[in-house]
Amino acid sequence: MAYVNFVKKYKLEIAMVLPLLLYILGFTVYPIIQTITLSFQDQYTKAFTLANYKEIIGKTEFKNAFFNTIALTFISLTLEMTAGLVIALILKRNFKGKGLLRSLMLVPMGVPTLVSGVAMTYIFGLYGYFNALLQKLHIIEMPIDWASGGLKTLLMVSVADMWKVTPIVILLLLAGLESIPDEVYEASNIDGATAWQTFKYVTLPLLKPSITMALILRAIDAFRIFELVLVLAGRATPVISTFAYDEYNNYANAYTSAAASTILLLIITVFIVGYLKIAGTKEEQ
Amino acid sequence: MRKIDISEKISNAAYIPIAIIAAIFMIIPVYILFITSFAVPSDILKPHPDFFITRFTLDHWKDVFLSGNIWPPFKKSFVVATMTTIIAIIIAAPAAYVIARMPSKVKYAVVLSLFFTRMFPDVGIALPIAVQFIKLNLMDTYLGLVMAHLIVNLPFAAWILVGTFETIPKDLEEAALVDGTSKLTALMRIIMPIALPGIAVTAIFVWLNSWNEFTYALYLTISDRTLPLQTYYYVQRGGIFDSATYAAILTIPVMLVTFFLQKYMKSGYLAGAVKG
Repeated sequence: MAYVNFVKKYKLEIAMVLPLLLYILGFTVYPIIQTITLSFQDQYTKAFTLANYKEIIGKTEFKNAFFNTIALTFISLTLEMTAGLVIALILKRNFKGKGLLRSLMLVPMGVPTLVSGVAMTYIFGLYGYFNALLQKLHIIEMPIDWASGGLKTLLMVSVADMWKVTPIVILLLLAGLESIPDEVYEASNIDGATAWQTFKYVTLPLLKPSITMALILRAIDAFRIFELVLVLAGRATPVISTFAYDEYNNYANAYTSAAASTILLLIITVFIVGYLKIAGTKEEQ
Repeated sequence: MRKIDISEKISNAAYIPIAIIAAIFMIIPVYILFITSFAVPSDILKPHPDFFITRFTLDHWKDVFLSGNIWPPFKKSFVVATMTTIIAIIIAAPAAYVIARMPSKVKYAVVLSLFFTRMFPDVGIALPIAVQFIKLNLMDTYLGLVMAHLIVNLPFAAWILVGTFETIPKDLEEAALVDGTSKLTALMRIIMPIALPGIAVTAIFVWLNSWNEFTYALYLTISDRTLPLQTYYYVQRGGIFDSATYAAILTIPVMLVTFFLQKYMKSGYLAGAVKG
């Protein structure tokens, strides 16, 4: 009865939310369940099996993709959070040309991810601008093939990713910095704290919610990185997303592709839960 | 007197040079992209490509436009982005309004779950949808791609719009209800006009997201490419002047909008807008 009354009282509200809810259930939650189901199904008999997982885990490409995804996320996040924090701290200062700097910092946001990948191919190509610069500075003799795999390819993709998303990290952290009241800084000034002490004991702890937010947002996207790798590194350096695409597109195997996607989802979930747990327990101490 | 430590000295001395280096770093890729699209091939296709080009040509742009290959992808991207925007706003705006008026604990949970729809890998969602669309003959269609783009953009639009509706005081609609207006009229006559600027900004962001979208388009396209796919096609073929020109065309609307909407680029919007 209470339930019926609730529906009657809020029928307009329910009608307004329902399309969104149904869409998310039908086009996000349901496909994800389908993907997870597929990953445990035999290709022919549809019976429950772990064969798809065994198959991809046995592949060298998948091992590489797994390692690359984790390494790439780690390198990208380190670069982006460091650069983002430094630039956000600079933008918190008052100086001539600050407005211009802020506008220039936003330029990468106006560039589609795919396009940033295209631009980076001109820079990191064998006869690209970066090799030319290194040769002019006599750091290297022969041009480096950045896309040939290994750590240098991961670094190249990380720099490309960093270029594209650091502006967002800057803005998120800057918003956090601006929400710290001036009185706190005045107090630490009066207590005679040095700049480093103020940063370590005042700014960083108060900035923690913004850092957590930026870190989780960035980690989710870094784990799912797709088009940048596709454009820059091709199939020589797979990540889990491009591996899943390859399995489906080039080997027409939806089952192993689904298994790869499920593993990726698992990694992301473990990361978020783990991070929140660690960040949470530290807070209690 | 406050002590000045080494870290303060370093930061006072270094912040301007770092700012300048960072600004240059942010500009260079865009600069290189555009000069490539205007460069004479012999200035670029050599072991040490010119960074400052002195000769300009419109050949690559002419080629792209005169070949006619650009119009079908341009039309597809444009129509899909526009349809996605209209439907996303129609579905997300009313829902966001209701969410914004929920008790704060429920609201927080709903907003958080909207946010966590992002953690699902696109390749995991696109796969069963592609399999389904093959059966339903929706591959290569505008409708199919619009449906796929809504997956990303509905939660995104709802997320931003909840923030917009939250800023509108509740008293306004309560006053209208006391005067005997129906809920729906109050909403359409009073709330929506106030929320219009926020809705417009959301619409623009959704449009750009769809215009740039790559992953779903890749899964759901066999032959009728969108503009990003066309760009990728030329990247794969190794036509650097074609790919530079296509990439530039793809970028121009995004650049313009980002420039004019700078003041809306705040963390609240960004939380959802992170996807480029």
